[in-house]
Order: sequence, then structure tokens, then C-alpha cells
Amino acid sequence: MEKSDLSHHILSRYNDDLERVRTNVLQMGGLVEEQLKQAVAALVQGDSRLGEQVALGDVKVNAMEVAIDDDCSRILATRSPAASDLRLIVAIIKTITDLERIGDEAEKIGYIGSRLAAEERPADRYREIKHLGRLVGEILHEALDAFARLDPNAAVAVAKKDRLVDEEYEALQRQCITFMMEDPRTIRRALDVLWVARALERIGDHAKNVCEYVVYMVHGKDIRHLSMDEVEQHLRARGRRGESDPD
Amino acid sequence: MNAFGALSPALWRSLIWLAALLLAALLVGFIVGHVAAALAIVLGVYLAQQLWRLMRVEHWLRRRSVDSPPDLSGAWGEIVAIVSRIHRRKQHHKAQVTTLLREFRRLTSAMPEGAVLLGPEHEILWFNPHAAAWLGLRRKRDFGMRVENLVRQPAFVEYLRSGRPEGGVVVQDAGDSTRWLSFHLVRAGERQLLIVRDVSGEHHLQEMHKDFVANASHELRSPLTVITGYLDALSEDQNLDPAWSGPVQEMRRQAERMRTIIDDLLELSKLESVERSQGERPVDVGEILSTLRKEVLSMEQRPSVVRLNIESDALLLGVESELHSIASNLVSNAVKYTPPSGEIELTWRVDDEGAYLSVRDTGVGIAPEHIPRLTERFYRVDPGRARSLGGSGLGLAIVKHALQRHDAELRIQSKEGAGSTFTCVFPVERVVAGDAGQFLSRRLL
Repeated sequence: MEKSDLSHHILSRYNDDLERVRTNVLQMGGLVEEQLKQAVAALVQGDSRLGEQVALGDVKVNAMEVAIDDDCSRILATRSPAASDLRLIVAIIKTITDLERIGDEAEKIGYIGSRLAAEERPADRYREIKHLGRLVGEILHEALDAFARLDPNAAVAVAKKDRLVDEEYEALQRQCITFMMEDPRTIRRALDVLWVARALERIGDHAKNVCEYVVYMVHGKDIRHLSMDEVEQHLRARGRRGESDPD
Repeated sequence: MNAFGALSPALWRSLIWLAALLLAALLVGFIVGHVAAALAIVLGVYLAQQLWRLMRVEHWLRRRSVDSPPDLSGAWGEIVAIVSRIHRRKQHHKAQVTTLLREFRRLTSAMPEGAVLLGPEHEILWFNPHAAAWLGLRRKRDFGMRVENLVRQPAFVEYLRSGRPEGGVVVQDAGDSTRWLSFHLVRAGERQLLIVRDVSGEHHLQEMHKDFVANASHELRSPLTVITGYLDALSEDQNLDPAWSGPVQEMRRQAERMRTIIDDLLELSKLESVERSQGERPVDVGEILSTLRKEVLSMEQRPSVVRLNIESDALLLGVESELHSIASNLVSNAVKYTPPSGEIELTWRVDDEGAYLSVRDTGVGIAPEHIPRLTERFYRVDPGRARSLGGSGLGLAIVKHALQRHDAELRIQSKEGAGSTFTCVFPVERVVAGDAGQFLSRRLL
């Protein structure tokens, strides 16, 4: 049985407070992941009850954002953290904002899902949404895993996946336009579907932001406006030079 | 180790040898005329020999695993022998432990379940391959990490932190949405073992079962409605052959019974399938009981006395329709099994331990051997009598499920010939103060 390595770098770097805040952020992430899953399911399965449940769940998401925000403010005020701990707090505050926005987008999807549940279901089109929803869900899940493990390489890999989402979104958009041109009666529904696709695409962007914060937390490098290729190059160079994390 | 005092035989031999040497030196010294010099030389040689042996032993100790022990006599030889023995024993022990560990690893890898050992802070100490595959855990990397940081499903986290390991929880796999996993915590001192099972098959079966019941009920309703319609028309038909009017009434009664059974089946299936409702509100149980009492009083066949005993104006957090269903089923059972000379009492009571909704009757009572099975679907104590009294046989099953959704339990006391008391015990966290329910209990979402 492998012994627990309690001097693992995560626990030795952060004290209890910070560790707790990190865990709370990940709980919020877990809740948002479930919201997204349920919202897409509500739409694809035409389950209006599920859609309503998502709307109620968003209240919890917002409450968690407020609570974690307060916690971070308190830590900043009472402990005046420095260096990597400060980066962690800053990154957390940004992360919860992105998570809360993801929650809002999921709520919108749930709401539209409830509405569309009453209408006729075009089996094929919701399949595209289902696929896009699953892809975005994967990206969000992996982004949060990278956050949990403080793994910048994984974060960059996930962030690159977001490109796929953009491609899928554009394909879906083209498809919807074609359907709308063929039969004007479906325009209402097609617009709703487009709205959902847009919401999913935005969720992908927010997940990518979380990945950028992970890199920032670990390496202190703000990669928000660099291209992913540049970031990868930078990380590889660090690895070759054998640099350790600045602390 | 037979010893004089604390010294081993080898050490005695060394001392005797030294004594003999010194004696010889003394003798030679006397003969030669330089006693001191002779003693000094002999002691010097002896010291050099001991130092040499000491160095050899030290050298060997440092390369113990590689070199074989030096062959020394006397006390040093003893030391070498003892250390060798200790070392061999340790190697043997280590080999034993390694073998045991390998066996353990092999077994836990072969286990169909996933297992994760958690420390007091829920940090991951160890996991087997299935757990790694299903939960996305990585060897070495994730040791020391809190399990809820990586397995983030809210239902799982709630279960993990609830401090109540019984029951377990089933959640959908975050990655693969067709996989459903069940989690069970087992406490072992300060640590806990998390057991993970793949219950996708069972879950799918359950879903199919629930869907089946719901669909079947819906499908049965339509033909039944048609039949009932025609029977109603027939019963009002003036030209109907009088010989048929009795049978037609009987058919209407039976159709009505079928409808009740189908409705109850549907209700039961809904209670089983839908997740814990989000629409919980403070409900006025006293009001429900009061309404039911009025309904009973307006019935033809009923016990003469129907008492209402509302001891508290507190409200109960729950779903109104389900609470109404619970009370209504209990009351209708009481009415059915109590003679016109008997009495029924409806009670709503609250104390520090919880809230109690009871229905007491002075009816036929239930024999002890039947009580554990009462809430089974379609279970009848006395099939003949029960069928003639109507009802679906699902009432108590519905009560049981609805109570489960409110974290409550059903207690049954009964004496044959004397009567029965059915009490629903709700946890105190669901009690809401009576003044218009303004103050919501802490348990609210």
C-alpha cells in the first residue's frame, strides 16, 4: 500500500484556509458541471421539469460565488498573502466569476429546453446540440481537473480543445441557416437552437479562461492574450531549462 | 546463552585469553628483567589487534548487504554473528511483507469493485485500478488530494460530508454518461474506505421498470375509460333488460376498482421515479386532517366517532400533495376496517424529537406476523374481506414511499380485535414554526 505522501507539494504549499477555498471552488465547479449536463439533457429529452430544476439550481451557484468571494476577501485582508498564495487567491476570484457565468448560460439553456419541450422535436438537430454539449462538458470537466491538480500542461491541452468547439458551433450555425431557408416555419425553433449553441460556445470560452488561470497560478505567467501555441512553446522551454515554479 | 552474570561465554573467553596473555607477559618480563616494557608491548599488540578487528567489523557493517561477514573469533565474532542474524531476519520479514503486498495488489486489482482509501480529511491515500479507471485518478499524482476535488458530483460530495455512511449514493459518471456508479463509505478508525461499484446495468433496468409501469398504466386507462363510458350509459338505459341491471352495476364497481388500482400504480411509479422534489413548502398538516375528517363524516359507511386531535399549529416542510396522499390513505384504511360502532382519531403532534401524524382506530386490528409485510404492494391480510371492501392494495406502499421522500418513517401498533395505530414520524428538521411559516427551518435548500 503506497504510503500517503503528505509532503506532496500541494499540501505543503498551502495552508488549511487556502486548501479549503480551493476545495469550495471545485465544489462550485462540480455543481456547474451538473447544471450543464442537466440543461442539455432537458433540451435533448424534452424534459421541461428538468429545465426548471436547472433554474432553481442556479440560485445555489450564485450563493456559492458570493460565499467564496467573501472568503477570499477575508483571506486577503487578514493574511496578506504573497507570491504564489496571492496568485492563487486572484486566480480563484477570477475563476468563480467564470464559473458563475457558465451557470447562467446553463440556466438559459435549461429555460430554452423547457420551452422547446412543448414543441415538436426534430430528432437530428438536437443530436448536434447533444454532441456539442458533451464536448463542452468534457472541456469543463478537464479544465476543473487541471485546476484541482494545478497542472499547467493539462490546462494548455484542454484550452486547445476549445478550438474544436468553435468549429462545431460554426458548422451548427450553417446547418440551422440551411434549415431556416428550406422551411420558414422552423425559424423560431432554429433560432432557439442557435441561442443554445451560442451559450455552449460561451461556456467553452469560460472553461478556457479557467485553464489560463491555472497556468497563471502555477507559473505566474499571464497567458490570457497569448495564443495557445505560444503558451505551449513557453512551457516546453521552461521544462527544458528545468525551471522550478517561482515561489 | 548460559552466562555468569551478564557476560556471554565468548566474552568470558576473551577476558580469560587477555588475562593469560598478561600473565605470560609478566612472566617473560620477570625473566628478562623489564616487566613494564613486556606488559606494554603485549598490551600494545593486543590493542592493535582489537582495533584491526573493530575496523573490519565497521567496514563490513557499512557494506552489509554486499559483503559476507568477516570470520572473527571472540567478542567481535559474537557481535558480527548477532548483527548478521538481525539483518537476515529483517530481510526475511521484508520479503514476507513484499509478498503480502503483491498478493494484496493482485487481489484488489482483480476485485470487480473500485476501492479508494481516504484519510481523515478525505485525502486519497491509495486506490485500486478500477477506481482509477472509473474516477479518473492518477497513480502517485493524486495521492494526498482531497477526493471531492476530483470526484465533484454534488450528490457524492453531500454523501461524503454527511457523516452518515449508511445507504450510499448513486451518481452518473462525470465522463461517460452511460455509466452509473454507486459509492459506499466504510469507516476503519481514522480512515475510510470508499467502495465504488458500476451499477449501470441495474440502473438501466430500474429505469426501464419505472417507465414500463408508467406506460402500462397510461395504456390501460384508455380502454378502461371506454368500457366505463358504455357501462354508465347502460346503467341509465331505461330499456335495459332488468336481469342485466345487477350485473351492470357489478361491472361498474369492478371497473371502478380497476381504475383505482391503475391510478395508485401510477402514483406509486411517480413517487419512485421522480427525484426528491424541489417544490417543498411548509404544509399545514392540521388543515389536511381537518379536511379529511369532514370527508369521512360525510360518508355513508363510517365509524360513529371521528375525533380530531391537533396539538400543534406547527407546519411541516414537504410536498402538499404527497402529505395529503399519506394522510388520506391512512384514514381510508381506518374507515374500511372499523365497524360503525367504533371510532377513529386523527392526531398531529410535535415535540423535541420530531413531528407525529397518527391515525388510530378501534377496528379489527392486525396480527403481529402481518405487520412487517403491510407496506408490500398488493399485500392483503385477509384477501377475501379486503377485496370486498375495495381499494387497490397499494395504499400503504404509497404511504411508505411518500414518507421516505420526507425522511420519515411509519410505525405500526396493532392488537387483533382492539384496533390499530399508524404513526408517521417526521424528523424535527422539517418542523416549521406555525406563524404563517415565516421562519424556514435550517434544512431548507
